[in-house]
Amino acid sequence: MLTRRGLLKLGSVAAASAAVPKQAYSFAAADYTLDIAPYTLEVSPKHSIKTIAYNQQIPGPLLRFKEGQQVTIDVTNHTANEEVVHWHGLFLPPDVDGAMEEGTPMIPAGGSARYTFTPQPSGFRWYHTHTFAGEDLKKGQYSGQHGFLLIEPRDSAAPKAAQHDQEFFLALHDWDGEMTGSSDGSMNPEYRFATINGRVLGFGEPLRVKQGQQALLHILNSSATEPHWIALAGHQFRVIALDGNPVPAPQLVPMLRLAPAERVCAIVEMNNPGVWVLGEVRKHVQEAGLGIVVEYAGHTGGQAGRPAGKPVWQQPQSLLWNYEQFAAADSRVAPSGNIIEVPLVFESKFAGHGAPDHWRINGKSWPDTETVTLVNGQRYRLLFKNKSSDDHPVHLHRHSFELRSLPRNQYIRGIFKDVVLVDANTETHVEFTANNPGATLFHCHQQNHMDEGFMMLFRYA
Amino acid sequence: MLKWMARLRRFHTSALGLLLICGFALLTATRARAQGNYEIQVYGADTEAPKSTMVELHSNFTPDGQKQIIDGVYPTNHQEHETLEITQGINSWSEVGFYVFTSLQDGHGWQWVGDHIRPRVRVPDSWHWPVGVSLSTEIGYQRAVYSPDTWTWEIRPIMDKSVGRWYFAVNPALERTLHGPDVKQGIGFSPAAKVGYDFTKVVSGGFEYYADYGRITAVSALHDQQQQLFVVTDLNVSPKWEINVGVGIGATASTDHWIVKGILGRHFSWVKQQSPTD
Repeated sequence: MLTRRGLLKLGSVAAASAAVPKQAYSFAAADYTLDIAPYTLEVSPKHSIKTIAYNQQIPGPLLRFKEGQQVTIDVTNHTANEEVVHWHGLFLPPDVDGAMEEGTPMIPAGGSARYTFTPQPSGFRWYHTHTFAGEDLKKGQYSGQHGFLLIEPRDSAAPKAAQHDQEFFLALHDWDGEMTGSSDGSMNPEYRFATINGRVLGFGEPLRVKQGQQALLHILNSSATEPHWIALAGHQFRVIALDGNPVPAPQLVPMLRLAPAERVCAIVEMNNPGVWVLGEVRKHVQEAGLGIVVEYAGHTGGQAGRPAGKPVWQQPQSLLWNYEQFAAADSRVAPSGNIIEVPLVFESKFAGHGAPDHWRINGKSWPDTETVTLVNGQRYRLLFKNKSSDDHPVHLHRHSFELRSLPRNQYIRGIFKDVVLVDANTETHVEFTANNPGATLFHCHQQNHMDEGFMMLFRYA
Repeated sequence: MLKWMARLRRFHTSALGLLLICGFALLTATRARAQGNYEIQVYGADTEAPKSTMVELHSNFTPDGQKQIIDGVYPTNHQEHETLEITQGINSWSEVGFYVFTSLQDGHGWQWVGDHIRPRVRVPDSWHWPVGVSLSTEIGYQRAVYSPDTWTWEIRPIMDKSVGRWYFAVNPALERTLHGPDVKQGIGFSPAAKVGYDFTKVVSGGFEYYADYGRITAVSALHDQQQQLFVVTDLNVSPKWEINVGVGIGATASTDHWIVKGILGRHFSWVKQQSPTD
């Protein structure tokens, strides 16, 4: 059946065809190349997963760009399906942002595309596929198409976010999902494996550190649908940035929570020698593999009194996390000025016990959702009203927004993000300035929610 | 066989159940008027979760049924049948069920009818089959005044599928009498099927069909077959509860003319209270 989304795809393909000749005149070699191709991921010694990956590795290659310095990436699609690469968290024009709904051409099966853009802002970003998966839990964000993107500040003299001796990039991901009924009658995937950088706990290479080091962790949740809570036994995290943007009040916390597509940058002071587990706080998820060993130099064994070689895990008894702890100290100031409020109500629509719920924004599902017209330079306040029993990690393309009101904190400021988790049956308010003209996609980053209509477009007047 | 049960929802919502009855009668297919309606349900393929128990009460009343004693079997007319079913989940792909059948009737009081045991296995989710498939076997005893065949055995393949708002289930059951007049009759064929539709997240409705065609090698004449059609509704008020009611009509001379049925079930979990980090 040809759906409206299908029609949109056809339009994007036509746009791609039109764009190719112009791009073909550029003979200069690209700065980077990405090959999208089938790949067999060995998540553990006994289990492999057939998926799609960038450059035959999961996560894809770490791309380091310089803020404000034009970069060119050639992408070749070796798969049998159309693909597109979204540069998540960057302020890009819509034709290269990587969402066909905004107008980025799809890369046809067997075809290539050249992405040329000037990356900004600086910080920890990522890139990933932005395609429809539907009932195929091996496509889209369920696959291995994700990679780290680090935009270094244009001013090399600018103060660094934090002094550190080593940095690690960690991607949390879930694999081999199956759609099952949840307690409220809707459907969500359950996963067989969960990994960090494509390996289950104990299979991948440990993070090797030395006593006294400051380790900077760049952590990404690339899962299609699942939030994750992460702790490092024997240590705490000093959170310095959320979604790649420095927070006004860095805090020492015992664990991190990352909703799908969220990133956290945190410093860990390596002051407790031993062999430890950095892993999921929820037992059943860690048992599915989500964890990695942290090994101090000279400590290949366990802690005193523990079996040699056994990494140590200390099980927390609760899940602790909130955004507001990182907000500016003088947050308790009501918003003022010329700000236009845009209420966005999230609801589900029952589609039968044998089908996932449809998702609606202000009563309509994509592609019928209303389009909000923005005026360049205007400040907007988005009022996210989640009237469903699911949490939603909502993402605004091509912009970042400031958290302004959370369920437990009416006024906050200073935290800039591009994804925020709106808890079930709560309200969250964010503000952003419309300063990047062009079609701008807004959607839930949970793949099955996005696929079932949780998307809308902002357009500029 | 005493049961026609169905768990409508493959996804652990309410059991499908429409029951129709004929179950008992199926055991005695060739003795057309010796039927009883104790558990009327089309089975769904799902099994009870491990460390959890399902307790169901099946209440079936026959407003218009057999009015005479035939071959020493009490008439079904105005009989009220109360069946207690307890199903224990073994692991993610198997369960075992136990039944206590009782009957209330003027002149006979509240009588114990019999007991059955029903192990069941299903195709695990990890096999990724496009339809739910399970296999149930049931063996048990019932008193001769309620069924001339006192020991019976049934094998019930179960297939189901949810597609959007629609639900489909088929149970092509095979039955064998182990002790009683029909012991030499061979294997009987007693299919059941269900079609359901989700009107809302809570309310589902549909039809259930129950039949007994007699011996598989020698199908009975139509008037000796049992053919019943139920209009049913399932109320999915909570994942813990199962509520099913229905009204059935018998289409042949060998079938009770009217039956009203109801199922009230509740899941109990024996997993200790989980912490947020479990």
